[in-house]
Amino acid sequence: MNETLLFLIPLLPLVCGVLNGMFGMRAPRLFAETLALFGVATATIITLLFWSYADGEGSRAVLYTWATSGDLQVDIAILFDRLSAPMTLMVTGVSTLIHLYAVGYMAKEKDYARFFTLLNLFVAAMLLIVLADNLLLTFVGWEGVGFCSYGLIGYWYGKGENADAGRKAFLVTRVGDVFFGIAMLWLFALTGTLSISEINQQAAGFAPAVATGLTLLLLLGASGKSAQLPLMTWLADAMAGPTPVSALIHAATMVTAGVYLLCRLFPLVSLSPVGMAAIALVGVLTAFYAATCALAQREIKRVLAYSTMSQVGYMFIAVGAGSVAGAMFHLLTHAFFKALLFMAAGCVIHLCHEENDIFKMGGVARRASFVFSLFMAGAICLAGVPMTGGFYSKDAILLAVYAQPGLLFKSIWLLGSLNALLTAIYTFRLLYLVFGGEARGEAGHAPGGLMVWPLLPLAFLGLGGGILNLPVLVGGNEWLHHFLGPLAGSVPAVSHANEWMLWGVATVLVAAGWFIARHFYRNVNVPRENVVSRFLLAGWRVDELVERLILVPFRALGRFCWLGIDLTVIDGVLEGLANMSRQAGEKMRLAATGRLPHYVTAFAWGLLALLGWCLWRLVSL
Amino acid sequence: MIVPLSHLLIVASMMFTMGLGCVLGRRNLIMILVGVEIMLNAVGLILVGASAYWREVDGQIFVIFLMAMTAAEVGISLALVVYLRRRKGSIDADAFDEMSG
Amino acid sequence: MATVLFYILSAIALTATLLCVTRRNPVHAIIYLVHAFFALALLFYVLGAPLVAAWEVIIYAGAIMVLFMFIIMMLELAPSQELQGLVWSRLLPVVLLSLTVLGATFAIIAFDPGGVDGIPVYFATPRDFGYTLFKEYALAVEVVSFQLLFAAVGGYYVGRTDKKKGGRK
Repeated sequence: MNETLLFLIPLLPLVCGVLNGMFGMRAPRLFAETLALFGVATATIITLLFWSYADGEGSRAVLYTWATSGDLQVDIAILFDRLSAPMTLMVTGVSTLIHLYAVGYMAKEKDYARFFTLLNLFVAAMLLIVLADNLLLTFVGWEGVGFCSYGLIGYWYGKGENADAGRKAFLVTRVGDVFFGIAMLWLFALTGTLSISEINQQAAGFAPAVATGLTLLLLLGASGKSAQLPLMTWLADAMAGPTPVSALIHAATMVTAGVYLLCRLFPLVSLSPVGMAAIALVGVLTAFYAATCALAQREIKRVLAYSTMSQVGYMFIAVGAGSVAGAMFHLLTHAFFKALLFMAAGCVIHLCHEENDIFKMGGVARRASFVFSLFMAGAICLAGVPMTGGFYSKDAILLAVYAQPGLLFKSIWLLGSLNALLTAIYTFRLLYLVFGGEARGEAGHAPGGLMVWPLLPLAFLGLGGGILNLPVLVGGNEWLHHFLGPLAGSVPAVSHANEWMLWGVATVLVAAGWFIARHFYRNVNVPRENVVSRFLLAGWRVDELVERLILVPFRALGRFCWLGIDLTVIDGVLEGLANMSRQAGEKMRLAATGRLPHYVTAFAWGLLALLGWCLWRLVSL
Repeated sequence: MIVPLSHLLIVASMMFTMGLGCVLGRRNLIMILVGVEIMLNAVGLILVGASAYWREVDGQIFVIFLMAMTAAEVGISLALVVYLRRRKGSIDADAFDEMSG
Repeated sequence: MATVLFYILSAIALTATLLCVTRRNPVHAIIYLVHAFFALALLFYVLGAPLVAAWEVIIYAGAIMVLFMFIIMMLELAPSQELQGLVWSRLLPVVLLSLTVLGATFAIIAFDPGGVDGIPVYFATPRDFGYTLFKEYALAVEVVSFQLLFAAVGGYYVGRTDKKKGGRK
């Protein structure tokens, strides 16, 4: 086998997506569904078949040279190494399950071809990000997922707010893309290449200030995609899309693209202590912000959206703490359990007659015990109940932060631990409100088999995900850490006693969270509103802040440019010129009488001037 | 020795001036053409005088060319006068202002 | 003798020209112009250009003026009224230009000492004339002959009658 065949991984979903877009509506429904599934499923199988190519330094395949201009040479090149291989497998595998679920979820939808086209294109673009060995190619995928998420969030564009949510996601992530683009240009100016592997090789020679600047730019770029501070506002609104979309884009894949980018360029990022600290700080602040917001949300999917933000914040903390392995570990387990949670939430929404408000749900556990078990599996992973995948991955991150010297990292650890408590509280709050107590709303129809069974493997993966990187402490061998090898990043060692202490703290926090949630929400059926909860419900009123700080001045500027500059200055000058020429023309028109004597007279005046001038010269000589 | 060249020039320029006055001052198309003829003849007079002054025959040859050119010009312009008269019923130069801006 | 003749002929030519440009009736104007051209032809002869003098009579006074006369008669032009309502603003450039031309002439004479020299007696024989014309100016002759041909074609074109519209209106 040839490594060029690795291109099949992103190409298969792409081709299937394009075919679906062209023929999906004309062919039978089964065709579109099968085609979409085929694209991602075969990509998964190929990833597994080619797994050995990731060994050692990994395989690099060049399809052809995309663009050459002066020093710039852009190859269509992919890098299948120990970092991208697990990520590829996760993206394709989870996508396959989500596609299966989507077939069930969208069974009654009329415009299915557009949905599956966008879904497949999204997977293709995401795989491009993961596999590309060229920043420009990464950027293509980066924009591709942006476009597809725009199309998918606004899938039900008939409702204005859905379309607005799509636009918001598109525009906010675009802000981050600008910084990513600047970082890319800067890297090209420094190294003369856009190849990721070459940039990583040359990164060691960068000045610290340069590395810091690049890291901060990349951090801002990653923030846009991964919904971190300050570009996080789009994610909660993005829940307007269909549930499989939320699961695919906003849980498993797209939001992790930023984390993946930082991991990919970790040799560069790790050069800058300031940049690393900034990454960790952004991560922990976002995690805290999102966790507090999740405490007060009333829509089930918004709670999950904020928790996604919060969990991605943990991944940023891991990168900031220098633990790529930790970030990837949490990325993988999170992808499993968060996709599971989203899709289970979709089932719950079906069960509650398309009701989103958790205060109008309740009692679902008794009606659908299987769905409850699945959701429960995801929830305990999210809350970090010991021995679940989420517990191990989150704890690995907190351990890595704790191991870093310095007050800053200790405070980050403290805030991160507080976050773990908040996470437990909102997770159990969700469980109590949705599944416990009596039913408070109408009962809907039970979800079909296709919507339930794909969740089972995810539940096992989420619960057992710890095996991927089981710490030495409990007899594991840290498989992922060793697999990543030199790419794993480095973390100072921590004594076993400290490790036990951290686990103890984590366990106590989860338990505390559970008790707090039980105390407040076990028997509460109606939301209690106060200033704080309203503030948190509105996401710290960040949207209003953005509106006041950016949009209002921007609109004023736009109005000024329109009324003040365009209409008065520019149009005034142009119209003035036009009027002047017209009036001059009117005046000049009078000169052209069309009468021969006038012309001859004018001719005579000219002759007079000429002769007079000659005469004057003659006389004055 | 007949006369000084300057006397000839004065006569010619007076004649030229009268022709010019005719062209500029009169509105009858025929009279304008007559004025042109007068001016051309004044020029011819100077050419012949110069030919004699420098004892070269070239000046006279130019008069011949001048006459040929005048013949051509008159032929066309009189045809135009006939045409214009046919169109407008007038040969007043002020009657033709279709080219007015 | 020739000197006296020159001044007499000049006086006749100038007077006839002046009368010509001031006549209201175009027929009278043409008659005066023919007079002026006859005087001019004799001036040419006096200045030693007998061939040009002959052509002046034949072509100018004979052919061209007769053509003018013919057209005037054909168009049945009445004596024009234009001289009654002379506009002085229209005559202003005429006067100024006339003064300038005359001034320029006098200036040339005053500043060119050679101008006061007498014109020597000179006589160009038709043989010299023809020799120079057809030897040195052969190309110009051809060009002028083409010009005449074009003028003939142009005159025919402008003066044609549109047969479809039933002739002249």
